[in-house]
Amino acid sequence: MSWESIIPNVLAGEGQPLASSSPAAAMDNEQFAAFYARSARSLWAYLARVSRDPALADDLTQESYVRFLCADHPLDGEVAARRYLFRIATNLLRDYWRRPRSSSIEEMPEELFKAKGGVAQSDSQAMLEPAMALMRPRDRQLLWLAYAEGYSHHEIAEVTGLASASIRLLLFRARRKMARLLRQGGDA
Amino acid sequence: MSPFSCVREREVTELLDRGYWPEACQADLRAHVDTCRMCSDLVVVAQVFQAAHKQTVPEPRLESAGALWWRAQLRRRNAAIEKVGRPILGAQIFALVISVVVAAAVLAWKGDALRAWFADVPKALHLDALVPAAFFSQSSGMASIVLPVLATVALLSGVVVYLATEKQ
Repeated sequence: MSWESIIPNVLAGEGQPLASSSPAAAMDNEQFAAFYARSARSLWAYLARVSRDPALADDLTQESYVRFLCADHPLDGEVAARRYLFRIATNLLRDYWRRPRSSSIEEMPEELFKAKGGVAQSDSQAMLEPAMALMRPRDRQLLWLAYAEGYSHHEIAEVTGLASASIRLLLFRARRKMARLLRQGGDA
Repeated sequence: MSPFSCVREREVTELLDRGYWPEACQADLRAHVDTCRMCSDLVVVAQVFQAAHKQTVPEPRLESAGALWWRAQLRRRNAAIEKVGRPILGAQIFALVISVVVAAAVLAWKGDALRAWFADVPKALHLDALVPAAFFSQSSGMASIVLPVLATVALLSGVVVYLATEKQ
C-alpha cells in the first residue's frame, strides 16, 4: 500500500487545499499572498521593535507564517487571522527568550538594528530606541500592540496570553515608564 | 475614573488613531491633556509609537509568499506522513514486546529440554574435532560457547535491522 493511497490530500499537488478546517485550506495560494502582503510588514515591525533584532525578526516572521499555514484552527476573517498570526509570533519570541544561549537578547541588537535600518531617524525615533532598550520585553510587546498596532485590551490579551483583566494595569505601568523615559530623552 | 485610566482617555485615543491630534482637537480637551498626567502620557507614547510604526513598516526585505506557502505545504506533508507512521511504529514495538515475552515463556517452560539440546549440539556438529578436548571436560563448556554466539548474532541482527530502518 502506498502513502498516496493512505493520505491522498497530503501527497497531492502543491497549492491544493489540505484540510477544510485549517487556515491553509481557508486561503488558497493567491489569497495567502494577498494576506501576506497586507500583514507581513506590520508583523516584522512588531518583532523587530520588541526583540530589537532585525535578523531575528526576519526569521520569526517566516516561521510565524509557516506555522500559521500549518495550524488547524479555523479562523473567522482577516482580523482574526491577523491576531492569530501575532499570537504565533509572540509565542515564538517567548520561546526564543526562554531558550538558553551564549548571548542574551538584551545584550544584542541595537547596533544591528541601526546598522540595517538605513532610514534617517526623526527626533522621536532617536528617543524611542534607547527608551525601548530600558523597557522589559513584555512591556515593549504591550506598548507596541496597543499604540502602534492599535489593539484593544481584549485583543492584546489574546495575542500575549495574559489575563485580560491585568492588561489595563500592566499597560498603565508600561506607558507611564515609557512616557517618563521619552520625556527624559531615553536617559533613565 | 479608575486609578489606571482617565474618563477622557477614549476621546484622546480616537483622535490619535485618526490622526486628528492636535489640530482637530477641541480646546477644552487640549487643556485637559495639559493637566492630566494619564492623558499626556498617552499622547506622548502613542505619537512616538505611531511614528515608529510608520517608519519601521517599509524596512524589511520580505521572503516571497510563494516560498513560505511551499515550506508550509512541505511541513504539513511531513507531519501527515509522521502521523500515519506512528501507529505502524507502535505495532512494531508491540510485536517486539510480544516476541520477547513469548521467548521468555518458552525458555522458562522448556528450559531443561533446551539445555539438553544445547548439550547435544557439539556432538551433532562434531565440534570435538575442532575444539581442544580439554574444553569439554567442563560440563557447561558448550553452553558457554553456543549461547554467547547466539546472543551476538541476535544483537548484530538487531543493529542491522535498526540501521536499515534508519536509512529508509
